[in-house]
Amino acid sequence: MDKMPVQDSTPITAEASLKHLPLIGLPNAGKSTLFNLLTGGSRKVSNYSGITVEASRGELLTNSNDSSILYELIDLPGIYNLTPTSYDEGVTVATLLELEPQYNFEKVIILLDWHRIAPSLGMALGVLKRVGNKAIIIINKDDDQEVTIEDRKKLQDILGVPVLPITALDADLQTIDHFIRTEKPYSKKDLGAESLPITPLSASYLPSSLTGHNQLKIIPGKKGEEAVANEINCNLEESHRILDGLQTKNFKRSGLSEKIDKIVLHPLLGGLIFFAIFYLIFNAIYSWAGPIMGLTEQVVLMTGDWIGSYLPQGVFKSLIVDALFSGVGGVVIFLPQIMILFFLLSLLEQSGYISRAAFISDRVMSFFGLGGKAFLPYMSGYACAIPGIMAARTIPSQKERLATIMTLPLITCSARLPVYILLIGTFVPSYTVFKIFNTQALSFFFLYFLGSFMALIIAKILRLSAFKGGPSNFLIDLPQYERPSIRAALKQSWQKGRNFLKKAGTIILALSILIWLLSTFPKVSQEKIQGLTDQQSASIQLEHSALGQLGHFIEPVIEPIGMNWKIGVGLLVSFGARELFVSAMGTLYALGEVDEESEGLRAKLIAEVDPDTGKKVFDLATAWSILFFFVFSLQCTSTLAILKKETGGWRIPLITFTYMLVLAYGSSFIVYRLLS
Amino acid sequence: MIKTLAELKAGEEAHLKDFTKNPALHFKLLSLGVLPGDLIKVLSCAPFGGPIAFKHGEATTFAMRKKEAKEIIVQINAQEERAP
Ligand SMILES: Nc1nc2c(ncn2[C@@H]2O[C@H](COP(=O)(O)OP(=O)(O)OP(=O)(O)O)[C@@H](O)[C@H]2O)c(=O)[nH]1
Ligand SMILES: [Mg+2]
Repeated sequence: MDKMPVQDSTPITAEASLKHLPLIGLPNAGKSTLFNLLTGGSRKVSNYSGITVEASRGELLTNSNDSSILYELIDLPGIYNLTPTSYDEGVTVATLLELEPQYNFEKVIILLDWHRIAPSLGMALGVLKRVGNKAIIIINKDDDQEVTIEDRKKLQDILGVPVLPITALDADLQTIDHFIRTEKPYSKKDLGAESLPITPLSASYLPSSLTGHNQLKIIPGKKGEEAVANEINCNLEESHRILDGLQTKNFKRSGLSEKIDKIVLHPLLGGLIFFAIFYLIFNAIYSWAGPIMGLTEQVVLMTGDWIGSYLPQGVFKSLIVDALFSGVGGVVIFLPQIMILFFLLSLLEQSGYISRAAFISDRVMSFFGLGGKAFLPYMSGYACAIPGIMAARTIPSQKERLATIMTLPLITCSARLPVYILLIGTFVPSYTVFKIFNTQALSFFFLYFLGSFMALIIAKILRLSAFKGGPSNFLIDLPQYERPSIRAALKQSWQKGRNFLKKAGTIILALSILIWLLSTFPKVSQEKIQGLTDQQSASIQLEHSALGQLGHFIEPVIEPIGMNWKIGVGLLVSFGARELFVSAMGTLYALGEVDEESEGLRAKLIAEVDPDTGKKVFDLATAWSILFFFVFSLQCTSTLAILKKETGGWRIPLITFTYMLVLAYGSSFIVYRLLS
Repeated sequence: MIKTLAELKAGEEAHLKDFTKNPALHFKLLSLGVLPGDLIKVLSCAPFGGPIAFKHGEATTFAMRKKEAKEIIVQINAQEERAP
């Protein structure tokens, strides 16, 4: 549902006054945190490596005060050194070497991570050799002000560039801003000339137009590997020498982190904790949100009734009550679930647990042919497939990356939430099993599990056929645990909640009005409904409408999976956006009714009776059939678009869409037959 | 005594001797700040031949698969052997 901020790809014509400042640093060093602080942006920040996978620009907040020079910060993916090992690192290296023509660099900000100062400084030394005449250094995560003034001076002398220790979590904006604007390299040394040795494999992660760049020296074979290893090795040794000369002892990880890891990474306990955490999250979404949702639903209904009572009978009233309140309003009531989901995910991401989860699940993932790096994109997929698909850029092997991308839309994203909750809450009987588990919450968890499990199975099939290969190597750093900030989690939750409302107020609203139009017109002639009750004429009118006719047209296709024409129409429109299923059902059921006292959609669904057979339309079998359809099918145009963008063609999105549709239809068919 | 990294048990420590066999792994370890000769400690092994977590120095923790750990040669010093 939420989209990555769309990159403005038009190159900036180098205006004299606009200067760009790229942020270079290790993954997880806090680049995006600093970027958000200085630009007021809202880039995603998490306590694990590989969050940022594309460049993004933002103007410094203080540009408005001092307009002599406008600065724009560029947030980049993290790198360990100048030898890219995946596409996201390639973006940073290419940008840094000014290979991207759209930037006008004045300075390069190197962000060191005090928690990992030795490798940070090693990376920085490599960067200084190339762009030393432009660099300034900020040391982040110096939370306890351990870097002394003397040490800072010493570093400046040795490196020849200004150094500022900060903690981005609690920083003085003025100081950092001033530092960035005024400080310059001391240029005592002649830095910034050396060429960069690189292997052909690494070069393949850079844009092909750049391989001829004069600073790049592509060395094939063993020689190349040696040259690269030598380069990194030298920088690291140099870094240790410099750090040994400082008074400040290097950062020491708190003993607590290790103690937690003893439990969390424990061979047996670790797996239990893994399941418990995820179960708790999904259970919380389901049960905490229930009462709040009931309340919001009441408010929406009552407001609808109240406004409706002032409107004259007719088409306009129907538009307001049936399209707006029953349609869009039906979607909006799921706001609490969305906000709780993102609140909890944010807490989990900040804590540093996600990399541990990748550790725990690696055995399973690698069985299905995926490396540890695939876990993180999958994890993002629980929020939305789009950032997940982009995050797959961190996977070095192209085949493994494609297998991940093609299965990612099977992971249950937040757009499926409303449908799951609507149907489970309405049709799955609620009772307690094994003393603590609620059947509805369990069903909910099961659907999440089902999607993820199927993603792994398809990945395995792909890895055995079209994208043959074993899992790539797995080497991840496990960052220090951090106490999650409630404020940051609330902010994230609020932001996603707002995006959700925005989507409801724009796309969903527009399409809901369209659905209403198509299900209200054309009007039946008066003779046809003469002498019928209001109820009968309303339902004849609905069947006569454009959508009604369409619904009857597709009925033969959806009948085998236990659905009537109204659900069929809901499924059809949900290919525009999954939430539309809920709004379309709301509108269709509201139009077919003439009750003065309007009741919630859930009550209407339970009550509906098939006019031919006299049986209930919705039973457990139908509900599960719809649910399975939603677990497996790719009903999201934005996902198709991003698939095309990330794979450079329509082939992958088309194949993905098709296999998921086949899965969806097939499983719905089987489930319906089994249950009815 | 010379062993591969995969043979160490949780809690054991050893000095890295040679990890140049697999270039990708070699670069990655260097990037994390791990140098030949450094002391490295096993924190935990995931079950069923899953990955192994290591601690390096005071500030770095990382994990790799057993398969990769087999390609890394380590040396356990005599006195470290006695006091695990
Ligand atoms: N202790 C501490 N943590 C910080 C500080 N600044 C940022 N963090 C945390 O470090 C983690 C990583 O922050 P990000 O901003 O996502 O890091 P990044 O450099 O953008 O990472 P990638 O996008 O993966 O390259 C988050 O959990 C932040 O909350 C700091 O000054 N001190
Ligand atoms: Mg980032």
